[in-house]
Amino acid sequence: MSTTHDSDAPIGPELIAEETRRYHHFITLALWLAIITGVEIVAIFLPLSAGLLLAGLGILSIVKFIAVILWFMHLIYDHRLLFWLFMAGLLLACATFTALVCLFSIERVDTLWFG
Amino acid sequence: MSDSAATVPNSTGIDNKKLIMWLFLASDCMFFGTLISTHLLYRKLYPSGFTDAAGNERFIQGLFDIELTSFSTFILLMSSFLMALAVSAMHKGQIASFRRNVLGVILFGLIFLGCQVYEFTHFYQRGLTIQNSVFGSTFYVLTGTHGTHVAIGVLWLILLYFYSFTGRLRGHGGATDVEVAGLYWHFVDIVWILIFTVVYLIEYLGPNGIWGPALPLS
Repeated sequence: MSTTHDSDAPIGPELIAEETRRYHHFITLALWLAIITGVEIVAIFLPLSAGLLLAGLGILSIVKFIAVILWFMHLIYDHRLLFWLFMAGLLLACATFTALVCLFSIERVDTLWFG
Repeated sequence: MSDSAATVPNSTGIDNKKLIMWLFLASDCMFFGTLISTHLLYRKLYPSGFTDAAGNERFIQGLFDIELTSFSTFILLMSSFLMALAVSAMHKGQIASFRRNVLGVILFGLIFLGCQVYEFTHFYQRGLTIQNSVFGSTFYVLTGTHGTHVAIGVLWLILLYFYSFTGRLRGHGGATDVEVAGLYWHFVDIVWILIFTVVYLIEYLGPNGIWGPALPLS
C-alpha cells in the first residue's frame, strides 16, 4: 500500500525484495501481452463470423487493458482509493459511449421525443 | 522535482503527486472515451469513402496497413514493459539500470512516433485529409491526440533521464517522480490497446467489414 515518505529517505531492504519479486511478474506479463497481440492479429484473418471475432477482440483488448493497469500501473499493489478514482473516470467514459450509441441509434430523435 | 509539498502527509496516506496523476488519468480516460465514441459512431453513420484531390472516389477498407500498426503496437507494449522495469529499478535505487531502461522507452516511443508520421504521410498521399471526410476528421483527431500524448511522454522521459545526472533523483521522492511518469506512459499504452482494436483491427472483420459493404459516395 502506498504511503507518503520523506523524499530523501533511503530505500529499505523489504522494498527491494518486493520489487525483485514484481520484476518477474513484469516479464511474465510482457510475454503474455505479446502473445495476446499476436493472437489478435492472426484472428482477423481467420474465416470466422464478424460478430464472433468482434466479441473475441473486445475481450482480448479488455484483458490486456486490465493486466496493464493492475500490474504495470501497480493498481494491484497500491491504495484501493487509486483504483476507484481511475474506475470512476473509466465508468464515465463508458457511460458517455453508451449514451451516444443510444442517442444515435434512434432515428429522428427530435420528432420522436419532442414531436 | 522532489519538493516538500508532494511529501506532506495527508488524510489519504497517498503521495500527492501520485494522487494528482491518477485524477488526471481518470479525466483523460473520459477525454479519450469521447474521441473513441465519436470515431465509432461516425464510422457507422458515414460508411462511405472519401474523394481525393484528383476527384477519385476512394474506400476506407484497404486503406490500413496491418503490418505497420501491429509493429507499432508491439513496440508500445514493450516500451511499457521497459517503463515498468525502470520504475522497479528506481524503487531499488539502481540508477544505472533506470537509465538503461528509460533510454529504451524513449527509443521505442520515438519509433512509435516515426511509424505514426509514416502512416499519416501515407494516408495523406492516398488522398485522406482531415477535411475531406468525416472519417478523416475523427481518425486524425483521435490518433493525433494519442500521438501528442506519446510525444509529451517522450519529452518527459528525456527530461527525467538528464535530471538523473544531477544527483537529485534519489530516495523515495525520486522513485515517486519516476513512478508518476511511468503511470502516464502506461496510460498512453492502454489507450493504444483500445485504439488498435476499435480503429484498426475492426476494419478487417468479415468480407465487407462490420460497417457494411464499401459504399460509393452519395
